[in-house]
Amino acid sequence: MRQFLPFFSLSLLSFLSTTCGATSTTSDTAAADYHEQLVLRPLPQSALLASFNFRSNITVSEFEAHNFRFFPRSLGQILQHAGTRELHLRFGLGRWDSESWGARPWDGAREGGTGVELWAWLEAQSDEEADHKWLTLTNALSGLFCASLNFIDGTRTTRPVMSFQPEGDHPNTTATDTHLLYGVLPHEVVCTENLTPFLKLLPCKGKAGIATLLDGHKLFDASWQSMAIDVRPICPAGGECVLQIELTIDMVLDIDRSKRPRDNPIPRPPPGHELPCNTSKPYHSHDTCFPADHEANQDWTLSQIFGRSMKGTCPLTDSKVPPVCLQVPNSRAVYHSDGVLEKKNLDRISRCFEIKPDADFEIVLPNPRDDQENNQGAITHIVKPETPLLYAERSFTGHGQERGGMQTILRNPSPDTAVEFIYMESLPWFMRIYLHTMSARIDGQSGKDESLVKEVYYRPAVDRARATQLEVRMRVPPASTVFLTYDFEKSILRYTEYPPDANRGFDVAAAVITILNSANEAVYNLRTTTLLCSLPTPDFSMPYNVIIFTSTAIALAFGGMFNILVRRFVAADEGPEVGLAAVKAKLKGRLAVLAKRFGGAGAKKGVVEEVKPVPVADVKE
Amino acid sequence: MDGGKVTVGRTAGLYIGAAVLRLAIFTLLPGLPDLLTGRVEISTPVTSFKRLQEGLFLYNHNVSPYDGGVYHQAPLFLPLFSLLPNALSYPIFTYLLYIAVDLLSASALWKIADSGEAGSSAQFTSPRREKRWSGFVIAAAFLLNPFTLATCIGRSTSVFTTCAILHAIAKAVSGAPFGAMVALSFASYLSMYPLLLLPPLLLLCYDRQRPDRADKSALSFAATHVPVVFGVLALLFGMSYLITGSWEFLPSTYGVQLTLSDLTPNVGLWWYFFIEMFDSFRSFFLAVFWLHLSCYVGGLTVRIRRQPLVVLTLLLGIFAIFKPYPSISDTSLFLGLVPLYRHVFPLMRYTFVIAAVILYASFLGPAFYYLWIYAGSGNANFFYAITLVWGLGQSLLVCDLMFAVLRDEWEVERPEMVGKEIRQI
Repeated sequence: MRQFLPFFSLSLLSFLSTTCGATSTTSDTAAADYHEQLVLRPLPQSALLASFNFRSNITVSEFEAHNFRFFPRSLGQILQHAGTRELHLRFGLGRWDSESWGARPWDGAREGGTGVELWAWLEAQSDEEADHKWLTLTNALSGLFCASLNFIDGTRTTRPVMSFQPEGDHPNTTATDTHLLYGVLPHEVVCTENLTPFLKLLPCKGKAGIATLLDGHKLFDASWQSMAIDVRPICPAGGECVLQIELTIDMVLDIDRSKRPRDNPIPRPPPGHELPCNTSKPYHSHDTCFPADHEANQDWTLSQIFGRSMKGTCPLTDSKVPPVCLQVPNSRAVYHSDGVLEKKNLDRISRCFEIKPDADFEIVLPNPRDDQENNQGAITHIVKPETPLLYAERSFTGHGQERGGMQTILRNPSPDTAVEFIYMESLPWFMRIYLHTMSARIDGQSGKDESLVKEVYYRPAVDRARATQLEVRMRVPPASTVFLTYDFEKSILRYTEYPPDANRGFDVAAAVITILNSANEAVYNLRTTTLLCSLPTPDFSMPYNVIIFTSTAIALAFGGMFNILVRRFVAADEGPEVGLAAVKAKLKGRLAVLAKRFGGAGAKKGVVEEVKPVPVADVKE
Repeated sequence: MDGGKVTVGRTAGLYIGAAVLRLAIFTLLPGLPDLLTGRVEISTPVTSFKRLQEGLFLYNHNVSPYDGGVYHQAPLFLPLFSLLPNALSYPIFTYLLYIAVDLLSASALWKIADSGEAGSSAQFTSPRREKRWSGFVIAAAFLLNPFTLATCIGRSTSVFTTCAILHAIAKAVSGAPFGAMVALSFASYLSMYPLLLLPPLLLLCYDRQRPDRADKSALSFAATHVPVVFGVLALLFGMSYLITGSWEFLPSTYGVQLTLSDLTPNVGLWWYFFIEMFDSFRSFFLAVFWLHLSCYVGGLTVRIRRQPLVVLTLLLGIFAIFKPYPSISDTSLFLGLVPLYRHVFPLMRYTFVIAAVILYASFLGPAFYYLWIYAGSGNANFFYAITLVWGLGQSLLVCDLMFAVLRDEWEVERPEMVGKEIRQI
């Protein structure tokens, strides 16, 4: 009976009328202080999306009284110290393949570009105070998450105007005392040292519940992964404001790669008879194989994918929320370990599992091909991915290390709805962009189309002090592709400003695209990939040589002119002799004098010793 | 008279010919202006036309062009170019403006040449002065110089500075000190370094005063004319302030030249030196380089007091080598003034070497830059080496011209030494 209760209340939530709904939502914010959930969604091409979500609430009065409960104390103290109203921190790696995987999880709201992204609303009376608090915040978070967040300095910080909207409720605040700052570190490599502090923020510390599945070896082997921390105040109508922290980890695992045994990780081609071939091809024979669609390869178990099975549930979690959900069609058979209750949801494409607090949990998805034999007829083994609202790709154009161009291809797949969005770039100062060259054109039309760009917010970079900030509000008509291009110049830096691997290039942060609905609210976010911009490099081994050569050239010019200006003209045969002949004559004279003196001295000595009365004058003669 | 007609015809012919040549290049090779605008030899961060367009774009869209790292040129260019139709859709107006500026420069040079100041100044008359080229030849040499042409086609804004400097000198030799001071203020406002030309220009004005209203005392002359320069400069700064609404154009235009914060390669000696300079010595060497650049003014003005035009010419040559962001435009200005000294050419010793070095650097420079930036088969040292050669070649020309002028002066005292071997002690 105890196990049935959550199921019952959940269906109440989704079915019953507002009276019941209202009571359960208030209890949701007040009583349910912590819950966690893992959603597994098989994707095409033998990929699997795993979304871990951990959420806890704390009332603002408790937070201010330092009574943290489920809220991580380390983070809470930093937020209090830096006057942070709302915080969003992202660690990202890899690329979301929207062509085959479709729309992003959480509508893109819980992901960042490659590297580390941080944006926060800070409480400050002036820009200087905000900068100071931002510095405190980045340095403290840098220590907490073992990431180089302290390198988010003035040159990497921008103040977006249109792209970001606060997610939480901020009553009693005005625009003047809340400052949004955004910093990004595209070069940062996210790895295990960032995961460990992340897990420490959880009430169960990764010892129980879904967090036991988080293993650095698997997480950072994923094709795409994103770790997010969001802290926001939520004020329900009439209730007390709560501070909500949400930790999210999304990863797309390559099932083939994950199933590779840990002790034999080197990929080897499978023997011929094990190759999955598409037998419908006319040329299929014993020695010709067209690879079968990857979708076929969708059999896996939880322990194969994550390297271990799940150890019970976190005892602190809200028992009303099922800890694991799997998004496969209800027709597909899924086996699970004993003592687990499987509930198929009414949307026919997902099911959730209720797990006993101390039981290990394991699920097995058999190969759908075996299924097919049982259930005749074509069934889809996976939920068809949703088409995203917009596809975006960004790349560099041009050649050489002097001038370049940026091109972003934005494709609206919808046949009837235009997409309006804000395209934001935050570029390093050494890419000097020429805004007058920016143009947007529709594929298939020549010349630029002025109607595509609605609004531009541009803050140019200042050398060594500030990054370029470009926000463009655009509208892409239905079923069309738009090219947004502009030119930039690559500047050459002081040799101390290059990183040790200067010829690798400089990472350029991802462009952030925020799609708006008609009410100007963000409905979907996406980020392009980061880019690698190679700058011209000086010869790093040459500082002394260059100083010497340039100084010599200047000395030659200056010396030549100085000579001509200060020395007197005389005829070649006038004045004191100079040159080789003069030196020779001088040397001769010196030698003669020396010879005389030596000769004189020797004679004098002899004279003094032997014949005293002989005068020196005689010897001279 | 017939002669006058012929002269007028020749003048018009030269100007029309030069204008038609430029227009033909602009229209027949439409890709060339943008190509040359992108060349580091022609466009520096403080004169680039592409950066001017960006500044103009920002200015027209209510973003301060000086609150950024791209635009480092004088604020008065903004309203001037805003008056012209858009350079992208109607480039012909921009072309015509640049052609007109080049022709104005040539006419000023013509006036300087016709004044005969190069051969006989107030305090010195060269015995060789009869052997000189006419204004026509000198203007033609300036207008048809490939460096001048490339600068004009590349639409570098340094042509405005060139024009202002040449007009300052032309006004000075024609006895209009006030005009000279105003023109020099404009040049200094646009590029800052022409302010260093003030002492020799003052002397030139003083020497060439009209006899009817001559100021006998050099000090009182200076005291009346130096304030003109600073007054006009203050006026220009005030107008700039009104245009941009703040003083932030000062650090962005002149501060960049003083601190060399933009290290884009150019033909000068500064960029690579300050790329490779150790951070702790950067400000020291910046001070030393600026001190070095300005130390020539005093020495030359005193030593060649009798020929202020020579001082101006030599200083322009020195600036073309040692200023922070030199380009071939500065060289073209210097090379435009050098033919005024046709009479001392026989006294120069290394003309062949100089010509060879300058040609060598002009052809190899672009090639080495290509190897470094585009082909990747050379490194920065290739282009750096060529800029060294270029600087040395030009400094040899400056030295040789200086030597020839001084020997010419000396031969007045020692007429018997003409054509004889001499040496310096």
